[in-house]
Amino acid sequence: MNTIQTRFGLLEFAPEDVIHFQGGLIGFPNHSQFVVISLKEQSRFRWLQSVEEPSLAFLVAEPQHFVPDYAPTMPEKVARLLGLAEDTPRLVFTTANIPHGKPSEMTLNLAGPLLINAETRMAVQVVLEDEAYTIKHKVFHQAPEPAKVAA
Amino acid sequence: MLVLTRKVHQSIVIGDEIEVVVLEVRGEQVRLGIKAPKNVTVHRKEIYEQIVDENKGAADVRPEDVPE
Repeated sequence: MNTIQTRFGLLEFAPEDVIHFQGGLIGFPNHSQFVVISLKEQSRFRWLQSVEEPSLAFLVAEPQHFVPDYAPTMPEKVARLLGLAEDTPRLVFTTANIPHGKPSEMTLNLAGPLLINAETRMAVQVVLEDEAYTIKHKVFHQAPEPAKVAA
Repeated sequence: MLVLTRKVHQSIVIGDEIEVVVLEVRGEQVRLGIKAPKNVTVHRKEIYEQIVDENKGAADVRPEDVPE
């Protein structure tokens, strides 16, 4: 077991839990090794915690929890890179962005999913060509204005 | 910045493994074909920058702001 001091506290992880992102996440090329952690049981969210940089963790979620029909076609090049056959178990996360103090303004980056080969634990952040998915997908829609009651 | 002039169907090579071909020029639009090894990622810059921003945002989320 390895131990690191993260911003959430002390984290123990086994080497076999580590996910290797080819080229890191986009904009973070120097960090390629992560573990997926939960801070709360039954939360729909996870943190992608860098094991190389203890202060670095990305909030992520499985997009199906929020967008049930999310099923992007992954580029063939990515499937080849990760050695994904049709029946290879895989995990898909998207990053989640929450402005400080404004959870209702949370967005998911549906255009840049994190694709993980669950067998080899090799992963890559994919940039989808499919314009159906947006970089800032708003999860919570504004509550409708309360209906005005006639006096 | 290196500046080169190319015609349609001409290309440039970058290093030994990357080739960029001008496929078509139509008004203000240029179509490029890119041959690169599978570990080299190619992105439209504006999309790339937006994803960098989203990743930075996701790394800046405070745990107390995360909904149940």
